[in-house]
This record gives sequence, C-alpha cells and structure tokens, in this order.
Amino acid sequence: MTRLVVETRALIKTFGVTPVLRDVNLQIHQGRCALLIGGNGSGKSTLLRILAGLSQSTSGDAMVFGENSRDLGVARRRIGMMTHQSWLYPNLTARENLGFYAELYDLPNRDALATKWIESVGLIASANERVREFSRGMEQRLSIARTMMTAPDLLLLDEPFAALDPDGVAIVADLIRAAIARGCAALLTAHSTLDLGIEVDRYQLTNGRVLPYRDETRTLSRIGA
Amino acid sequence: MGAFTAILRKDLRLEVRSGQSTIALFALSLLIMVVLVFALNPQPADRARDAAAALWVALVFAGMLGATRAMIAENENGCMRALTLSPIDPAALYGAKLAAAFTFMAIVEVAAVVLITLFFNLDFGADLARLAPSLMLGTLGFAALATLLAAISSRTRAGDLLLPILAIPLFIPAIIAGVKASVAALSGFPLAAASQWLGILVAFDVLFVTLGGLLFEHVIRED
Repeated sequence: MTRLVVETRALIKTFGVTPVLRDVNLQIHQGRCALLIGGNGSGKSTLLRILAGLSQSTSGDAMVFGENSRDLGVARRRIGMMTHQSWLYPNLTARENLGFYAELYDLPNRDALATKWIESVGLIASANERVREFSRGMEQRLSIARTMMTAPDLLLLDEPFAALDPDGVAIVADLIRAAIARGCAALLTAHSTLDLGIEVDRYQLTNGRVLPYRDETRTLSRIGA
Repeated sequence: MGAFTAILRKDLRLEVRSGQSTIALFALSLLIMVVLVFALNPQPADRARDAAAALWVALVFAGMLGATRAMIAENENGCMRALTLSPIDPAALYGAKLAAAFTFMAIVEVAAVVLITLFFNLDFGADLARLAPSLMLGTLGFAALATLLAAISSRTRAGDLLLPILAIPLFIPAIIAGVKASVAALSGFPLAAASQWLGILVAFDVLFVTLGGLLFEHVIRED
C-alpha cells in the first residue's frame, strides 16, 4: 500500500456563519491524482488553502504527510501549489522570478534550473521579459513551472488548465503526469471533469461536501498524452 | 540567511527598477519641507526645533509609505502566500521586509537632511553628524512597527487608512524621544545631552523589532 499523503477527517470550514466545507473526508495516496469538481464558490480553493496550511479549518483535521497542515514546518517545502493568482512578481523577468524561488528553496544550480523549467513550459523566448508583459496564459505556464521546480511530493493545483491554450494544456498535463509517475500525489480542481490520460480519483464538491463523482453528464474534456 | 538576502535583494531590485517608493517618499518629504518652512518662517533661535519637527514629520510619513509599498509588492499576485508556503523562517521574512523598509526610509532621510539643511539654513557639520543616531534609531523603530502593521493593514480593504491609525499612536512616545534628541543635536549639544532620549529610542527599537519577529508569522497567516 502506498503512503497516505493527504487525509482530512470531518473537516469543516465556515466564514462567519456561512458553511463552506462540511464534514470533508478525503484521502490521497502517494502517486495518485485526485480531481475535485465543483462550481464557482463551492469551496475548492478553500480546501486547497487549508491543505497547504495557508488557512485554518473551523474544526476537523487536515493531515498532510502525517502532520497537521497548520504545523508542517519545513515539510511545507514538499508542497507545490498553484492558485488563480500566479505568485509571480510582475516587475521581475521570468528568469528572475524562478531564480528567486530557487534561492528561497535553496535549490542548487539556480540559473540552469530556471532556464530548464522556463524551457519546459515553452517560454524560453520570453525568459528575460518581465512577467507584467505576459499574457494570462503565459503567466499560468510560468506559474506551473514555479510550482514544479521544487520537485514537490504533493501538488495542489487550483484549476490548472483554466486560462491555457491547447499547447499550454498539453504541456501542463505532461508535467502533471510526469510528477505523478515519480510518486507525487496531486489534488486538482476543475469546474468539469477532465481526462488526463492517467487514472484519476474523481470527487465532486457539492454544498460543502466532498462526494465520489457521479454526474457523468458533465463535460469530459480529454487532454491527450 | 539565504532567504533573508534573497528577499531583500529582490525588494531592492524591484525598487531600483520601479523607483516607486523612493520617488514618492522624496516628493512627500520635499512637500513637507516646503510647507513647513514657509508656514513656520523659522527664526535663527528656533531653527533647530523647527528643523527637527519637519524632519520627524517627514520620517513618519515616509515610514508609512515605505512600509506599505514594501508589502504591496508581496500582495500583488498573491506572492505573500508563496512566501508563507516556502520553507523560510517567518522571522527571516520579517527581517528582510524590515531591512527593505529601513533602506528605503534611510535613502529618503539622507535627502531630507540635505533639504532641511538648505531650507532651514543649517550648517553642514558636526550638528548633522550628531543627528544620525536619533534618526537611525527612529527609522529602525518606525520601520519595525510599520512593517508589522502594514502586513495587517495590506490585507484589509481600508489598509492605507488603517496603517496610520494603528501606527502613529503606538509610535508617539518614540516620536517625542526622537524629536527631543534631534533638537538637542541640531542645537549643538553633545550627544550625552540626549542620552536619555536615545535610550528611549533604543528601548522602543528592541520592543518593536522583537514584537515584529514574534508576531509576523501570525499576522501573515490567514483565518
């Protein structure tokens, strides 16, 4: 049996008196990809933030790598997260942004690493351009490079395909598949179900509850290998 | 130490590239000097007192603007979350943001000192050198407090309004000590004459830097 990377038990999150997540019980094992499907404002991003330790649950447990996500300490470096915001500095170039994060994570060969990851997302021609000049899709590609560069053991990707063109979708899907293949666990969110070309555990987030995905009438977007 | 230097270098690079903070701070300081010198029309006997007052008004406004700008860069595109998730020590993050705010303020203060020397017809010399300890201690204390409070206020809708409301009452004792020490320095008294005021500034610096280092982690975390 592979190692349990994410486990939530009776997780509840409320904003004021408004419940966002109710009794969420979710498990993700090493090398598995889970897809959480839900509409706007359904609580997908909130769940990801709680798992990353960026936000606190109202009650229940969010365990990541066997520890409470709020007290991960240096284990935070094992999480790679991508959100609707790119977490990139607009006035730095693509290369400077990745170089900065490589230094924060104390990664070796920073310049070569930044170049490698910029190349892997098809942005090498724009490596020395400021992120402010990037389109939304280019920024998202660079954001996935930032996320993957640290070789995380857990990927938390909030709608990773939302603003991408078909080439971008194929690149990001390849990177996710490669990460899963090396044993990384992943939790992706989307508005509709996706076919990543790998085995994916699908869940739906409805009225704050995470349930096995059943609605087969929703769009199935195939993302080829 | 690596994370501290990485964040500080990044902040300085962003500032050199945009010049937003230092240009705004310099323009604000110039405006304050011009307004005060014409409003007060300082007489020779009052020059030291009026110049010290103008300098500290500039310092407080520059501090608020500098700390806010340093934090805005982190909130743009949600970069603060990336820093929170990264394996760096929150105290190192606070230290880097404090060092950046201190650097921006110190650059502007050098310009402000030149301006008060010209506007208030002071002599370049020993008096200005004696001013350095009170200014540096005041800058450190205010940067420490403003960096912590800017992290709180930048996450609220009325952040620009909230920062002065929070910062100025807490900093009033240090402002009084700083103004008194600066008046003594510009009046030509030896440094020892202002030692009690400098001691108060040191105490506030220790208090604000310690509080900032301890509380920053909790301030940047979300509910």
